[in-house]
Amino acid sequence: MKRRELLVAMASLAGCAPQRRPRLNVFNWSNYVGTDTIPGFEKESGIEVRYSIYESNEEMLAKVFGGNSGWDVVFPACNIVGPMRESGLIAPLQHRWLDQLGNLEERFQHPPWDRNLDWCVPYMWGATGILYNKKLQPAPEAWADLWDERLRGRMTMLDDPTDSIGAGLMKLGLPLNSVEPDHLDQAKLALLRQKRLVRAYLNAEARDQMVSGDLLASQMWATTAQQAMEASGELAFAYPSEGFPVYADCGVILRESQRKQSAHRFLNYLSRGDVACAAASECKAATANAKARLLLPEALRNNEVLYPPETVLKRGEWVEALAAAGQRKRDRIWTEIKSG
Amino acid sequence: MKALRFWMLAPSRALMGGLFLAPLSIIAAYSFLTRGTYGGQSTPWTAENYVRLLADPLYTLILARSFWIAGLSTMFCLLLGFPLALFIAQSGRRKNLFIHLVMLPFWTSFLVRTYAWMFLLRDTGLVNTLLQWAGVTGEPLPLLYNEAAVVLGLIYGYLPFMVLPIFSTLDRLDKGLLEAASDLGATPWTSLWLVTVPLAMPGIVGGCVLVFIPCLGAYLTPDLLGGGKSMMIGNLVQNQFTSARDWPFGSAISLALMALVMMALWTLQRRQKEDLL
Amino acid sequence: MRRALPAIAALTYAFLHLPLAVLMVFSFNESRFTVWEGFSLHWYRELFADARMMEATWNSLFIAATATAAATVMGTACAYGLWKRGAPILSGTLYLSLVTPEIVTGVSMLAFYQFLFRYMDLRLGLHTVILAHIAFSIAFVVVVVKARLKTVDASLEEAAMDLGATHWGAFWRVTLPALGPGIAAAALLAFTISFDDYVITSLVAGVDSETLPMVIYAMARRGVNPTVNAISALIVAGLGVFILIAERLQEA
Repeated sequence: MKRRELLVAMASLAGCAPQRRPRLNVFNWSNYVGTDTIPGFEKESGIEVRYSIYESNEEMLAKVFGGNSGWDVVFPACNIVGPMRESGLIAPLQHRWLDQLGNLEERFQHPPWDRNLDWCVPYMWGATGILYNKKLQPAPEAWADLWDERLRGRMTMLDDPTDSIGAGLMKLGLPLNSVEPDHLDQAKLALLRQKRLVRAYLNAEARDQMVSGDLLASQMWATTAQQAMEASGELAFAYPSEGFPVYADCGVILRESQRKQSAHRFLNYLSRGDVACAAASECKAATANAKARLLLPEALRNNEVLYPPETVLKRGEWVEALAAAGQRKRDRIWTEIKSG
Repeated sequence: MKALRFWMLAPSRALMGGLFLAPLSIIAAYSFLTRGTYGGQSTPWTAENYVRLLADPLYTLILARSFWIAGLSTMFCLLLGFPLALFIAQSGRRKNLFIHLVMLPFWTSFLVRTYAWMFLLRDTGLVNTLLQWAGVTGEPLPLLYNEAAVVLGLIYGYLPFMVLPIFSTLDRLDKGLLEAASDLGATPWTSLWLVTVPLAMPGIVGGCVLVFIPCLGAYLTPDLLGGGKSMMIGNLVQNQFTSARDWPFGSAISLALMALVMMALWTLQRRQKEDLL
Repeated sequence: MRRALPAIAALTYAFLHLPLAVLMVFSFNESRFTVWEGFSLHWYRELFADARMMEATWNSLFIAATATAAATVMGTACAYGLWKRGAPILSGTLYLSLVTPEIVTGVSMLAFYQFLFRYMDLRLGLHTVILAHIAFSIAFVVVVVKARLKTVDASLEEAAMDLGATHWGAFWRVTLPALGPGIAAAALLAFTISFDDYVITSLVAGVDSETLPMVIYAMARRGVNPTVNAISALIVAGLGVFILIAERLQEA
């Protein structure tokens, strides 16, 4: 915070709304742009960008729910886009200001959560699978292998109901987004049986312990797994044979935004091949942009952890927004599993 | 006399009324609403959230576990914190330095400190490596991801909340009293028990409350050091406001918890005749 | 007991400082993981190049200092006001603020701000964070100062007033000086709580008010890197030196 901003803060403390310079406020996940992404846009457009990061969809939602958060562009996951639209939080996109959408991969031009990209621009995507130590032979290939006695105390599941309950459902051959009470009960029993093998329910924290060799297998996001594999040659990643969850984070413009044109300009900028390529290669995340992917260095472009081949990707299922009743049942199950 | 007291209390009254009670009443209202289709709150007004909480033994189990873990952590904090506070209070000119040394680790982020503990306690971590090197144990001990690790993390996290209030009462302790006690033939231990502890009582009670309450609501420590395997009430509340997006239920759980703790404090206060605030 | 006490204190200090030593060591590690690979200043270089983290650190210090100053003054006044005669509603409210889970405090304040801002041309920002921090740390100040007040002899003030001091003068010259260490302890506690708070801050922070814990928690999703250790080490060293100097000045 510089002196000027201090004065502004003081002024707003005293109750007078500060005079803002024309700019754009962007709220995004951490580690999702390159070092030059934002400065590049500022230079090109003359717009000052205020860029801030959040940790979870819920944190972002809580902020923007009131409709006067001050943010212009945010990046919800694909299963949040629908609810945000229904709640009147996001503005429809003006395609005449977005001439770079053609760069997106085919499957992101007409995604199931927003058939014509009327509301969102897919940015990065990822999937959940199994990170394992190569010492583990035969190597795990399916969610069912995480129920194997030999992993007792050396395996973690994600501390995330969507992914963990999802693994239980898929192991049983049931759909990832199921809200059928019967399906969910079966998954619950499976996960309760698995719990005695599970060392802990952890997210990115499991990464260090995979690298150090404490753990033999972890349910893990592909992006995080990639980081661990770069640090240790002992590790490998599997996309489970029963299927796996796939998610995408998408840029949207908030309805409250007073700077919709600049916001479009920013989303369009992010969709440019060179820009998306720079961000994706620096963050080591999977871009939704086909043109950017072509520009990536060879090793990254053909990385099968970040970009599984078509045959594997076929098994992926998009994470969807769930109805209230199903959500409640899932939360009750999750509570029971975690406190068992 | 009255005027001064009025002005002393006025800022706190205004602030707590405007920035705490008023917002809290919104939460109280939420707790009688229903979760909307995609989160948020919507009518009808209902007491269903409370019924759901009380009718399900799972939630009672979580509550009981939370009280147990918080109680245990508070006890250990007192066992460690009281001697430390006494030591600091008796250390003369250097006591400010010692007090700051207690706070020093807490100027780093909670998350960073917890990660440091994860490193210390894991199988290939420092403690296990040293133990194996010294030949104490062959196989690494399972130090991480159990309730003991949660208690350890909570003691670590809230020890200063015990030390500071006790220190601030002990610091006023009249040395003459202790000398008088020893002149009358009391051993150091008896005078500790009969003179020092009673005088430090307001600080002890204050410290215990300041430690117990946040331990009860802890959620990150059970997740990271407990491995998320034994949920506490704080996790339950947190989940309602995050992954479950059920704010009305989360509000109901919190208010029920708060009512329970307030009742406990009230009973304590009546028996103690010591008011904390 | 003469020997037992320092021994226990030394062990407790070791317990408190062990994780601190660990993170300091790892701030000089070459690897981004908690596996030692060799000495390097890499993360410190990265830290100083990270404008966002530097700004967040500055914000955190500013917020904690402002909120601590305000909460200490208000809380001390409040403890004094409650000293000779209780105020049940205010005490009850303060208790309540202590027993409220953090997330509830945060969510309720956010909802409240959002409600207010519908009628005012204001947004979330540093000011909302500072106000929230004052509100949640005031009860801690009151508890610590009140515990100290109980050891103060109330008749001293009366004696001073019998000798002609005004009520304010008696408070200022007699009671307040006796509260010194209690107030210092309370301020220290308030600063620490404010500086480390994540849950409430992240909910009431706005466009311009990212704090250090927010940056660190946001990084946690993809795995924290050792720049976090580096900034922690620097803050501890910086505040440590600051305190040492303050101590020396006081002694002189």
